[in-house]
Amino acid sequence: MDSQTIIAFLPQLILAAGTVGALLLVAWRRSQRMIAYFTLVTLLLTLVSTFNGIGQLTTAVTQLFYVDDYGRFALLLILLVSICSLFLSMQRLSTDVEVHDEYYLLMLLTVLGGSILVISDHFASLFLGFELLSISLVGLVGYFRQQQYSVESSFKYLILSASASSFMLLGIAFIYAQTGTLSFSPSADITGVSSLSLANNYLLPLGFILFFSGMAFKLSLVPFHYWTPDVYQGASTPVTLLVATVSKCAIFVVLLKCCFAYYQHYMGLHEQVFNVIAAVAILSMILGNSLALKQQSIKRILAYSSIAHMGYLLIIVLLNQVHAIEMAWQSTLFYLTTYLIACVSIFTVICLSEGEQHQDVNLADWQGLFWHRPLLASLVIVAVLSFAGIPLTAGFIGKFYLINLAANQAMWPLLAALIIGSGVALAYYLPMVFTLFTEQGQSDKKYDHLLSFGHRSMVSLFIVLGLLLGIFPDVLGHWLLEF
Amino acid sequence: MIITLLMVGLVLTGGFAWFSEEKKAGSAKLIALLSLLFFSVCFITFVMAASTEFAQLQQLTKVTWIAVFNIHYQLALDHLSIMLLLLTFLLSIIAVLISWREITYRRGFYYFNLLLTVAGIIGVFTAVDMFLFFFFWEVMLLPMTALIAIWGHENRRFAAIKFFIFTQVSSLLMLIAIILMAYLHLQQTGSLSFSYQDWLKLELPQELASYLMLGFFIAFAVKLPSFPVHSWLPDAHTQAPTAGSVLLAGVLLKTGAYGLIRFVIVLFPQASQEFAPIAAILALISILYGAKMAFAQSDFKRLVAYSSISHMGFVMLALFSFNVNAFHGAVITLVAHGLSSAALFAFAGMLYARIHSRDLAKMGGFWQSAPVMGGFGLAFCAAAFGLPGMANFVGEFFSLIGAFQRFPVITILAALGIIGSAIYGVVLFQSSFHGAVKQQFIDLSIRERIIATSLLAFLLIIGVFPNVILQFTFNGGG
Repeated sequence: MDSQTIIAFLPQLILAAGTVGALLLVAWRRSQRMIAYFTLVTLLLTLVSTFNGIGQLTTAVTQLFYVDDYGRFALLLILLVSICSLFLSMQRLSTDVEVHDEYYLLMLLTVLGGSILVISDHFASLFLGFELLSISLVGLVGYFRQQQYSVESSFKYLILSASASSFMLLGIAFIYAQTGTLSFSPSADITGVSSLSLANNYLLPLGFILFFSGMAFKLSLVPFHYWTPDVYQGASTPVTLLVATVSKCAIFVVLLKCCFAYYQHYMGLHEQVFNVIAAVAILSMILGNSLALKQQSIKRILAYSSIAHMGYLLIIVLLNQVHAIEMAWQSTLFYLTTYLIACVSIFTVICLSEGEQHQDVNLADWQGLFWHRPLLASLVIVAVLSFAGIPLTAGFIGKFYLINLAANQAMWPLLAALIIGSGVALAYYLPMVFTLFTEQGQSDKKYDHLLSFGHRSMVSLFIVLGLLLGIFPDVLGHWLLEF
Repeated sequence: MIITLLMVGLVLTGGFAWFSEEKKAGSAKLIALLSLLFFSVCFITFVMAASTEFAQLQQLTKVTWIAVFNIHYQLALDHLSIMLLLLTFLLSIIAVLISWREITYRRGFYYFNLLLTVAGIIGVFTAVDMFLFFFFWEVMLLPMTALIAIWGHENRRFAAIKFFIFTQVSSLLMLIAIILMAYLHLQQTGSLSFSYQDWLKLELPQELASYLMLGFFIAFAVKLPSFPVHSWLPDAHTQAPTAGSVLLAGVLLKTGAYGLIRFVIVLFPQASQEFAPIAAILALISILYGAKMAFAQSDFKRLVAYSSISHMGFVMLALFSFNVNAFHGAVITLVAHGLSSAALFAFAGMLYARIHSRDLAKMGGFWQSAPVMGGFGLAFCAAAFGLPGMANFVGEFFSLIGAFQRFPVITILAALGIIGSAIYGVVLFQSSFHGAVKQQFIDLSIRERIIATSLLAFLLIIGVFPNVILQFTFNGGG
């Protein structure tokens, strides 16, 4: 390994070293505060090394990894979200007497899994990252064992996740049987396979679809979405944030990498799997949004809305034109950025408005929030409108990127589903906003000052970010152009 | 530049009004009124003093906004948008005056939203970059929805959601059409462009043009509204606070007509020619159906709301007749309906303030105690059903004359709508002001008299001297 390779791989190395360091730290002295700050420092160091890497050359690190700017940017997003989640967790855990070293350890492992996924270029590394991510998330989901749904949701997640990985493995095996390589981009010496005849070949598309279904499980796409609401609701809020953001972002990025590579190498593949993926996308958009309609629990609403959002994103996976791939990556990263900002925003508010017992937050709990806690409520408004894709907020620009892509590729059925989905979605997003304005007849006592300075600045920062990207999307869009 | 300052100024004063209401109760409405007066004077002075001729679209500002998609912050004015902006200013001042007593809670936030709505509407009427237009088109909805959802009547949330979903879904169709046009520009000239002026130079393939036209048409038909996408309107108008109804009927519906004139007809002349028969039939159905439904209502505001559908049907019929007379008729009808429906909604608000009901069955004999109110009421009802001498008559007359040359049969049937409007107009007036005395209350206050007089004056002036408006040229006719 030369120095360039090591620098490219540095973020993952730091994370791995940090995980080991955290283990040693636990053996040395058990202290809540120490391990929390150790995790924070590890994440920050990784963040710096990732940020430094952006704009540098794309490098292949062994056969397994391929570090490019898209992957680096996705890792940047993952790290930023994890840092937010870490802050929320620290607040959540600070009230407990027990020392929660394992929690932070699992968190680092989750991030490590995600960081491996976003740069993997090989099914072996993909599987490694996938399993690291899933298993540590299972641990996190069931971590607060005293809570009502914790065991149920972690079991659900464990079993479904394990079966999803086995399907995925089978798919990978089929693909390997046909192509003779596990790499996403077969190297020159086996170019023979790229002329692989797909005319009567069912195994490759079948394998690909099985592989896709494993991924779809993680992305909670219909019909693999059943775990989502229960896990969202059962896990504690910072963990839900990780499930909603880190896992989905990493998995989507690697899925896109893999799909684009395969479409390029095996020309006919796209047509064969197109209909399946399109159907999954359309179903996710419409069902996800419809199922959210009657929900009362905010986390369940967000779970269903995430199904729909992943459905919207799948539009990008269906892209088949080589010249549009750059645009596709920009759209993906922009959309993911806006989605993650909105997710972090709303989960922050959920965390801050949870009661002492950390019970589930219902819509009714947010009644009149705008009059009592205007700052928190403004953040909810920006986040929800961003989810709904209304102008002024970042989410609209994300959706604009998607529609641009889809209209350019003439994917009319998907566009129709997107429009219908967005229409249905408004029927639950708007009541969420209206709830904030409900009159309760009480005095307008303001509670915002009860928040700590850190929380207040965090909330304000997210409001500004959500609006900034909506009004001046060039800030990010220009940057993405250079990748 | 001035338009940008106006919008920023409105948003800032809105924020200031909100802030000052917290400090001193009752100051928000004053700030809102003064700022609106000040800004409208600014606007009028700017238009009068401007050396440019606004017969053609005059570009005011062009700044790069989103370089990735070559989107500009681009504003322009012509006579049509100036006229609609003046209407907007007038009605927003009236909206503030109407809210003076009606809004009793959360006043600061109310006026903030009101001013924001006005700012958004100004943006819609001036934006010529289509992305910017779409941006404002959506942004003006947000504060309007808030007005309905927070200060509306009993069913306000449902109405607000319905209103929002209808416009949002239809405008997404428009967004797709906008994006496709931009890519068409990319194909033909090699660069992406969302600018309206650039699009005018495009050569549209026949088949694609009609689909694109439909995308725009649906968005504007929902806003207009036209049958069969009108059903949000009666709910939204009925449930909105009075000022909200005034702005909705007076200005927001006009954004739909504005869109039809500026974008559908001008950008897709041929496609809209082909589409004209369908549009005319939809317009005819709107006219007759609106009149019929208005007649069947027992709710004052719902009745006026359905009458709006009927009146806007005339606008659509006239616009798709491609005839100078009809076009002038449509433009006058826009202004006239803006004034007269605003007046009727204001009346509904005044009655509601007195008897706390919108139910016509609970009204009657109000002439006894409030003759001045009755007199104005009669005048406004007469305006709504197109009494000669009032602006509505000129508008509908011109529309029908022009439309007759293109669609004789449809126009003859549409003329029945005028009879219908006379029927529901008289029903409205009779059941509220005549008959057995149900309730007694005080007559119009000075503030209410100012509102009524100013609206009536404008209706009469335009009715007697339609040249006030017709001396200007409006692109899109013929």
